[in-house]
Amino acid sequence: MPDNDDLKIKNIANELRRPVRVSAALDANIMRAIRELPRHARASLWSRLTTPRRVTIMPLSWGVLAASLAVFAILGAAHAYQDVHRAAAPIAKALFPKSNKPQAAQRVQFVLVAPDAKKVAVVGDFNGWDASHADFQATHNGGVWSVTAKVPVGHHRYSFLVDDSLWVADPSAPRAADNDFGVPNSAIVVQSQE
Amino acid sequence: MIRFARALVALLFAAPAVRAQDPALSSKLDKPTLLAVSAIIDSARAAKLPTKPLNDKALEGAATGADGPKIVAAVRQLSIRMGSARRSLNSNATPDEIKAAVDALQAGVSTRDLALVQSASGKRPVTMPLAVLTDLIGRQVPIPTATSLVLQLERAGVKDSELSLFQRNVRADIERGADPIAAATTRAKGLVQRGAPGTNKPAQ
Repeated sequence: MPDNDDLKIKNIANELRRPVRVSAALDANIMRAIRELPRHARASLWSRLTTPRRVTIMPLSWGVLAASLAVFAILGAAHAYQDVHRAAAPIAKALFPKSNKPQAAQRVQFVLVAPDAKKVAVVGDFNGWDASHADFQATHNGGVWSVTAKVPVGHHRYSFLVDDSLWVADPSAPRAADNDFGVPNSAIVVQSQE
Repeated sequence: MIRFARALVALLFAAPAVRAQDPALSSKLDKPTLLAVSAIIDSARAAKLPTKPLNDKALEGAATGADGPKIVAAVRQLSIRMGSARRSLNSNATPDEIKAAVDALQAGVSTRDLALVQSASGKRPVTMPLAVLTDLIGRQVPIPTATSLVLQLERAGVKDSELSLFQRNVRADIERGADPIAAATTRAKGLVQRGAPGTNKPAQ
């Protein structure tokens, strides 16, 4: 029996080893058949967006997404709280003044002798360098221009703006060293009333 | 999903930097200048430096009609000086003290002398002493003399109100023709002798 089986296997092997004749037109026939198949249309952006598709998401991803959104919301709330708190602080101070706390602002008189001036304004850190600020427009009496306005406690730099064009340091105040823009500045240190 | 998570994390870290601009800045600076100034202000905020002086500097530049690059350069320079000033003062220095220290540095006071003034003042704020020091230097009192006088006054415990009066008196003396060194030295001597008996030794 074993010899009989060996013979059969040998015959099968010989048969498999025999070269097969393939028609020379086979490749061409196959390629022609492929070309005749309908082409896949390139999906448009709209169809890609609107065609339902199945998405697989790991459960862990939902956890990451939820945690990220939570942190984002907490940060946003913290910033909003800081802004509200910062904005509310002066109001709170005004509503509930404490006698032992420094006052937020003091009235300061600015004086400039400028007999030929037509207009004098005080411009500085305390009014956002806004020459049109209504509280800092000086009035004059015989060429002595003055304005008294509330200035926050602290260190400020400022200057007089004469006739909207000439910058003049306050001759009666300490000079500020910096002159970055070619404008002479004065310094004022406003202190709380003791 | 991973790409989405990355984008979300990037947004999360970018959120603190996205802040509303000061409306005054937005209305007075052109867009490139505003962006550059905002970046400097954000960096200062991250370094825990006061940002209002930077804001004010930009507004000052806009008010004086300076061009954008000049404004940006001034704001950047101020930011650098504020960093130096804060390193010279103690870590609890207030924004006003830092502003006054910046002025003093710009007048030529060394960071070492800033630290000396801070030390001589103890727990009292150095805003007024530094403003007076800057003013003296601006009125032609040499830096070593001005620094020495302010140190004497601080060590004598002279109050801020007296320092302010000292500054006004020295200015008046100079305007009447006095030599700046003589005016400052004489006025300081009087204050020290009157203000704090036993502490009127000249500073070295």
